[in-house]
Amino acid sequence: MRAYAEGLVLALISIVAILGAWQVPAASPGDTWAGIVPFSASIALLFLSGPLLLGAVRQTAGDTGQEQDSGATLQIIGLFVIALIYQQSFRWFGYLLPTAIAAPVVLCFFGVRSWIGLAVSVVLCPLIFHLIFFVLLGVYPPYGEVFDLLSWIQG
Amino acid sequence: MEIFPALLSVITDPSLLFAIVLAAAVGMVVGATPGLTASAAIAMLLPITFYMSPLFALAFLYVIGKSGRYGGSIAAILFNTPGTAASAATQIDGYPLARAGQAGKAMKVATISSVIGDFMGDILLVVGVGFIAAIALKLGPPETFAIYFAAFVVIGSVIGSSIVKGLASALMGILIAMVGLDPISSEERYTFGSFDLSNGIGLVPLMIGVFVLGEVFAQLETRRKATGETKENESTEDGNSLTWEEYKPCLPHAFRGGFIGAGIGVLPGLGSAIAAFISYGEGKRRAKNPEKWGKGALEGVAAPEAANNAVSGPSMAPLLTLGIPGSTIGAILLGVFLIHGIQVGPTLFLTDKELVYKLFACGMLGIVAYGLIGYFGATQVARIILKIPTNVLYPLIFLTAFVAAYSARGSMFDVTVMTCAGFAGWLMRKYDFNVAAFVISFVLAKGAEETFRQSLLMSDGGALIFVERPIALAFLVIGAGAIAFRVRGIMKERKIAKGALEDA
Repeated sequence: MRAYAEGLVLALISIVAILGAWQVPAASPGDTWAGIVPFSASIALLFLSGPLLLGAVRQTAGDTGQEQDSGATLQIIGLFVIALIYQQSFRWFGYLLPTAIAAPVVLCFFGVRSWIGLAVSVVLCPLIFHLIFFVLLGVYPPYGEVFDLLSWIQG
Repeated sequence: MEIFPALLSVITDPSLLFAIVLAAAVGMVVGATPGLTASAAIAMLLPITFYMSPLFALAFLYVIGKSGRYGGSIAAILFNTPGTAASAATQIDGYPLARAGQAGKAMKVATISSVIGDFMGDILLVVGVGFIAAIALKLGPPETFAIYFAAFVVIGSVIGSSIVKGLASALMGILIAMVGLDPISSEERYTFGSFDLSNGIGLVPLMIGVFVLGEVFAQLETRRKATGETKENESTEDGNSLTWEEYKPCLPHAFRGGFIGAGIGVLPGLGSAIAAFISYGEGKRRAKNPEKWGKGALEGVAAPEAANNAVSGPSMAPLLTLGIPGSTIGAILLGVFLIHGIQVGPTLFLTDKELVYKLFACGMLGIVAYGLIGYFGATQVARIILKIPTNVLYPLIFLTAFVAAYSARGSMFDVTVMTCAGFAGWLMRKYDFNVAAFVISFVLAKGAEETFRQSLLMSDGGALIFVERPIALAFLVIGAGAIAFRVRGIMKERKIAKGALEDA
C-alpha cells in the first residue's frame, strides 16, 4: 500500500509539473525554450514513478510493509498545523503575541508539564527572540495587521 | 604558498580567532547531540551571518561543519548513539571501549585521528585546489553541464537506500529550483499567478525548513519510540589516559583513513559516512589484530574517525572550483557565498583568492581548536549534552526556525516556504527519499540549466554537442557508470540476501 502511494504521489507531482512546464510560452527565435529543463525533469520524474509502481505491484500480498505509528504521525500533523497557524498569525498579530502563545503550546507537545516553566516561556521566548533578532541584529519585525503587541507596548 | 600569509593574517585577528574557537565548541556540542546535525545548526545560524563580514560568516559556519563531524564521535563512543551517520563506524569499537571503562582513551584516539585526517584533507585541498581551478577555467558550458549532470546522478543514485527515490529526490530539487522567473527570458515558471512565487523559492528558508523544522518533526516521532535514559559509562583508573605506545599502532590506520577520506571527499555526494565505513573495512582487512575489531580495538576508532574528518577539506574543492557542493554543508556554504555577493567557481580564485585562503587558514585553526577542546574536554562536553533537556531544546529550535527564516529577507512568504519545506523534509525522511540529494540538486539546478541552455545555443539546438566534446562525454559516462555500478551493487546484495535465506 505504501509503495503504491509513493508511486502514485510521484506520478501526480510529475503530471502537475508537466502541465506547469507546458504553460511556459514558446521561445523567441534564436533563444531556447524556458520550459525545457522543467519539462525534461518532470518527464524524468514521471518515468521514475513507473519503477516505484511496478515494485508495488510485485510486492507479495502477505507483505504488508512496515508497521506505522499513527499516534506519532498524528502528533506531527498536529505540530505542522500549529506551525502553519503560527506563521500565518505573524501577519495578523506581529511576532510577540503569536510567539507568547506558541511557545507553551509547543513545549507541551514535547512533554513539558511544569506550569511555572510554561508560564516563564510565555514571557521569555518572545522577549529573548525579539532582543536577539529584532534589536541586536536590527531585523525589522513583522507588523500585525489586526493587532500588534509591540506597537501597543511602544505606545 | 598563499596559505602562510593567510594563516598569519587570521592568527593576528583576535575576533576571528574567538569566532573559530566558539564555532569549534558549538560544532562539537551540536555534532555530539543525537538528533542535532551540523547542517541543522549551520542552516539555523545562516541568517545571523548576513550581518557579519563574508570571511567571518564563512569561517564560523565552516568550522562548525568541521567540528560537528568530529562531535558525532563523542555520542557514538560515550552513549552508543551516533551523533552523525559517519560516527556509526566509530561506534562499532568506540562503545565497547567505553563499556570496558576506557571511554577517555577512546575519545583521545578519536580526537587525534580526527585531527590527523582533517589536516591531511586540508593540506591536500590547499595543494590541489589551485590546479583544479586552473583546469576548471578552461571548461566550456557543455563540459560544465556534463559535470553538473554527473553530480546530479552520483548524488541521486549513490546516497541512500534506493536509486529511484534518490534520483526522484534530485529531480524534485531541480523542479523546485525552477519556480520563479526564467533568468534568461524572464518568462514565469510554476508561479501559478502568484507574485511571491515569481521571486522563486529562497535557499535559506528551504534549508532551514528541511534541516531544522524537518528535524524537529522527526525528533517528535523519535521521542515516542525512545525508551530509557542515556547514561555515561564509568571509567577505570587508566581508562582516561593515552600513551604513545597505545597510539602507535593506530597511526597507519589514521593516515590510511586520511587518504581514503580525502579521496572520497573530492567526489560530490559520497560524504563522510561512506568514507568512514570504507576506512573501517580496509583497516580491519589490513589489521594485525582483526579478531579484536568490533570488540574494542583502538585502531577501529582511529581508522573511521580519520576518514570521516578528512572528507571535510576536499569536499570544498568541487564547491570552490566548479560551484558544485559535495555535501549539504557545502550547499549551505554556497548560499553564504551567494548572499555576500561572491560568485563561486573557477573565477573565485581570480577575484577572491585571498578570502579563499583565509577560509582555509580558519579551517586549519578550527581543527586545532576542536582538537584541543576535544582532547582535554570531550568527556565534559558529553556531560553537558546529557544535561540538555531535549523536551525544551526542540521547542526552542522550532521557534528559532521561524524567526531565522523571517530574518533572512524580512519576508513572510519565506516563513511559509520554511514551514512547508519542514513538513516536506520530514515526509521525505519518513518515506526514505533523499533529503541531501534534494537540497544539493536545488542549489545546482540553476547553474546546470544555464550551462545546458548556453550549450544548446552554441550548437544551434543540437544535443550532440555533449557527445562530441570528449571531456563532456567522459562526465556523462561517469554519471551513467555511477548508476550501473550502484545497480550492480544492489543486485549483488540481493543475491547474497537470497542465498542466505535459502541456506536458512
